[in-house]
Amino acid sequence: MPLAIGKPRTKREAKAAQGPYGRLGSVIGELDDRLGIAKGGRTFLDKIFPDHWSFMLGEIALYSFVILMVTGVYLTLYYVPSTAEVIYHGVYAPLRGTRVTEAYASTVNLSFAVRAGLLMRQMHHWAADVFLGSIVIHMARIFFTGAFRKPRELNWTIGMTLMLLSLANGFIGYSLPDDLISGTGIRILYSIVLSIPLVGSYLAFFIFGGSYPGNEIIPRLFIIHVLVLPVILAALIGAHLFLLVRQKHTQFPGKGKTEHNVVGSPMFPTFIAKTTGFFFMVTAVLALLGGLAQINPIWQFGQYRPDKISYAVQPDWYMGWLDGVLRIMPSWEFTGFGHTIPFEVFLPAVVFPGIIFTLCFGWPAIERIFTKDTAIHHLLDRPRDRPKRTAAGAAVIALLFTCFGASATDVLANFFNVSLNVVLWTFRVLVFVVPILAGFITWKICLELQHGGTGLGQRKRAMVVSRTAAGEYVAVPADVRPGDERHEIDAVPVPTHIDLDDGSVEVGAGNTRPDADGVRRVIR
Amino acid sequence: MSDEQHEPRAPLPVATLDDPQLQFSAKHPRRIENLISLSFLLGMICMGGFGAAFWQNWKPWTLGATLGAGMLFLGFGVISWGKYLMPQGPFVEERHVLASTEAERDAMAGAIVERGTVVVRSRRMMLGLLGGALGVFSIVAIIPLRALGNLPKTTLTKTNWRRGSLVVDSNGRPVHRDDLQPGGLLTVFPAGYETNEQTQAVDQTVLIRPQSDNLVTEPGRDTWAPDGYVAYSKVCTHLGCPVGLYEEELKILVCPCHQSIFNVLDGAVPKFGPAPRPLPQLPLYFDGSGYLRAQDGYDQPIGPGYWERS
Amino acid sequence: MMRSLPRALKHRAILPAALMAVVGLGGIVTFASSASATSSGLSSLNGAGTEGTAHSPAAAKQPPNTGTSNSSVKVYKNGKLVAYGNSAIRYTYPSSGYIPAGQALFEEFCSSCHGASAEGTVRAPNLVGLGPATIDFWVSTGRMPAENTTAVQAPRKPARLSDHQAVEIAAFVNSLDPSEPAIPVVNTKGANLAVGAELFALNCAACHTITGAGDELAYSTYAPSLRAATPTQAAEAIRTGPANMPRFTGNLTDAQVRDIVAFVTEDIQHAANPGGFALGGVGPVAEGFVALLFGVGGLALVGFWIGDRS
Repeated sequence: MPLAIGKPRTKREAKAAQGPYGRLGSVIGELDDRLGIAKGGRTFLDKIFPDHWSFMLGEIALYSFVILMVTGVYLTLYYVPSTAEVIYHGVYAPLRGTRVTEAYASTVNLSFAVRAGLLMRQMHHWAADVFLGSIVIHMARIFFTGAFRKPRELNWTIGMTLMLLSLANGFIGYSLPDDLISGTGIRILYSIVLSIPLVGSYLAFFIFGGSYPGNEIIPRLFIIHVLVLPVILAALIGAHLFLLVRQKHTQFPGKGKTEHNVVGSPMFPTFIAKTTGFFFMVTAVLALLGGLAQINPIWQFGQYRPDKISYAVQPDWYMGWLDGVLRIMPSWEFTGFGHTIPFEVFLPAVVFPGIIFTLCFGWPAIERIFTKDTAIHHLLDRPRDRPKRTAAGAAVIALLFTCFGASATDVLANFFNVSLNVVLWTFRVLVFVVPILAGFITWKICLELQHGGTGLGQRKRAMVVSRTAAGEYVAVPADVRPGDERHEIDAVPVPTHIDLDDGSVEVGAGNTRPDADGVRRVIR
Repeated sequence: MSDEQHEPRAPLPVATLDDPQLQFSAKHPRRIENLISLSFLLGMICMGGFGAAFWQNWKPWTLGATLGAGMLFLGFGVISWGKYLMPQGPFVEERHVLASTEAERDAMAGAIVERGTVVVRSRRMMLGLLGGALGVFSIVAIIPLRALGNLPKTTLTKTNWRRGSLVVDSNGRPVHRDDLQPGGLLTVFPAGYETNEQTQAVDQTVLIRPQSDNLVTEPGRDTWAPDGYVAYSKVCTHLGCPVGLYEEELKILVCPCHQSIFNVLDGAVPKFGPAPRPLPQLPLYFDGSGYLRAQDGYDQPIGPGYWERS
Repeated sequence: MMRSLPRALKHRAILPAALMAVVGLGGIVTFASSASATSSGLSSLNGAGTEGTAHSPAAAKQPPNTGTSNSSVKVYKNGKLVAYGNSAIRYTYPSSGYIPAGQALFEEFCSSCHGASAEGTVRAPNLVGLGPATIDFWVSTGRMPAENTTAVQAPRKPARLSDHQAVEIAAFVNSLDPSEPAIPVVNTKGANLAVGAELFALNCAACHTITGAGDELAYSTYAPSLRAATPTQAAEAIRTGPANMPRFTGNLTDAQVRDIVAFVTEDIQHAANPGGFALGGVGPVAEGFVALLFGVGGLALVGFWIGDRS
């Protein structure tokens, strides 16, 4: 930025004083004087993001979270976190005149009497389901490509924590309206806490503020859901992204890609355009779901009361695996020495998830024990190149999906017209057989793919079969597809300046420009 | 950033618009541009539609449809722009080694260790006392958690059913001998406790009349089910869901949550599913006017198991 | 003082003060009347309104609540009871003129399993003494004549016999041993949907689900969907308890049954679903499927479009 000596006297001088980049240049100059942003900002704009599609899965989660926050704020303006009873006098006829809690009444009111209230509620709920789904497939991508290895173990731990807290926040969130179905889930939560040996009853009483149901649980869950967990989640997401920026993204091996570089598109303009567009797409999908697909119609369920129940109650999908294990567990309760340990609750609802999460949190360490690999990795594995890891992951995923299936025993029995008892016993067997089978088959497939398969980073090339005049068939590989040609170009660093050819920007010799004092300063 | 440890990079030559890395991937940029422009235009219209839908208070689905469609067009346009009309590269960036040099690591460790030693050398007792104070604080800081709720004590074991409790339904109406025919089902409470959610949670009882003669469900319970009226705690012994599902021909209660099956004729012993214990049975009798009353409370704690339950 | 009154009336604040007085009075009057309206709303919740002093019933036996002829207005013709009930539900016996036609139909369609005199065989139960409502329910819903006599539960299917033929058969079977309940004709006008919703949740949702979608129960039995039930069929099912369904007699008044039936035919069968597609009323399982397939899957496809595929 040329230093002005004295005030510019004419318009032309003023314009010249602004430098070749005009208004924007002077704004950057002012900010840089105060914050020193130019150098770091330039580096930021040059950041390279690898382009593979599977790297966008985390963004689905990020943008769903943004939608959750925005719609969530709207919901907090209308929801009342209180179990005080009121008479419902609103729009929905089957509830008129009945005693309901303020929490329930405010949610029904929000759905029917507030403009766009139902859209916000449904968008919020769909966003939560999509948020957790995208976390799961993002986590799966990280796992199967080995992106959790050094130096990214901390990011893996942060990510696992994010998943755990999001799971909890989702469960708490849909329990806030105090309707019949989510209230049943709260009763089950109470009993699960109760089942913990030694401290169960104390923990349950402290969490609920007394015996079930009490009046404390809804206000407490509310503040956890809107303040405590979102703040922690936002902070952890910030840390997650900071580590990503600091350590730079991983990339698949390919032409020109090494452990010491990152190849892809620059932050500005390409990546920012794609990611902003993706944000709009996420909002679009969630808005379409929120408007066109009904979710959690609490007015149909009615107010929760401890003696009311509906059949076919399942929790939201991400809690389904716990419900499934609770259903298939045999009724082993230990009674002796004046005490009871309800293993039929404690094992599936506390011990089993504990084991799964410990396994997940500790996976980087576990893999290090087996592979003895402590090197830094910035290049990803193809899942087929690590058959044991891929098979182990497939087995765990198969186990969790079988448990999820087990939570729908009655729905499946109804759909397939089979006895409920048969379905339950089937799942008791499947929960052992399916993971083993899935792991074994995955392992075999990986080995198979390792031997076959095309080279890295290339699509299969078609074979053009032609017949010679003599009648012979000749197969020749087709030309390389235009889209693949790109990879024949060498990667270059992001250019410092681009000559725009139309004289709109003056660029001096090379990339140095003399300032007002005649000093040539190197720009980069 | 960590540029300091590297020499300034050699200045890059100015790129020109002909460079292969700066080319767009679109073969027909005009077409794509028109498509994107159309997309943005449609997006504008849909967003305007959202505004109209909100202002005019149209059906809720129109709000979602217009907002969603608008965002879809917008997103499609921006993504297409980024994918087809922006430099496709590939570009490369060097990874800087994150780790600092050995000397810098030593300097950091040294700063902590050496400066620390200077301060705490031969002041062990002070340090120990500080540690002790902080330790006491961390232990004492847990104590306010006690105020979160009451201690369980006997709350988990007691219900409000007593000797002579009048059996009433959820509207407070007492149950008469003639009220249920064989095959009937009713949710009942002790009189006075049927409207409070807190007591409903523990007192709720399911009253069934599988037959019209006296029913003996277990040895020693000869008088518990007069005229076939048998009462069990409605709180499932698995996880506390109300067991309201009665199949009258099969004479079973099924818990709707996880499908535990209890046989009504033999003391609600679980026949299938995860429930570990039978549903406690409430002994009944008819008073002088023919109304049902409880002979006594439950003979065991109701509901799911917990550590102190013996 | 009297002389100063006309002067006071000319004070400039007199108009606002008068307005405030009128508004304040109006507010008090409105509030008082709405308070009483609220309490009358509450009292309508006590479905068994006549049994308000139920807590000390020892004095007088409360009127039976069974929806039987004992508790209702009765209509006689030629000395025979032809109908009973009240403004909510009218139970009508089929005309005795239908008996010959009914007998012929019975011989053709029913006697092969139920026996010539409906006394039952190894394949099918005894139908004598069950009341015309029972017969009418099974035949008009198409469950009878059964296609598969070995099935655990006869499913609803398109009725083979018309509604009139069902009444004729009911007339014949009832003539063998006239019983209750008679065929209910439900007058849903003036039904209290809130009471219906509350009672539905308490008594019916445990098997039929809160959205009335129905589901699989134990041992190959199931609770059917309520989407196709007519008001008469719903009332018949409630009063007679077909198959494994409990029989709700003395614990529900005719007004309460009417409220439940109105709730089923209005809010369950014609649910408003303002949120969009109801996904079958199945609940979180279907919602999770849609979220993962369309939400996450759709967005992953968009990511697939945006990014590289190599």
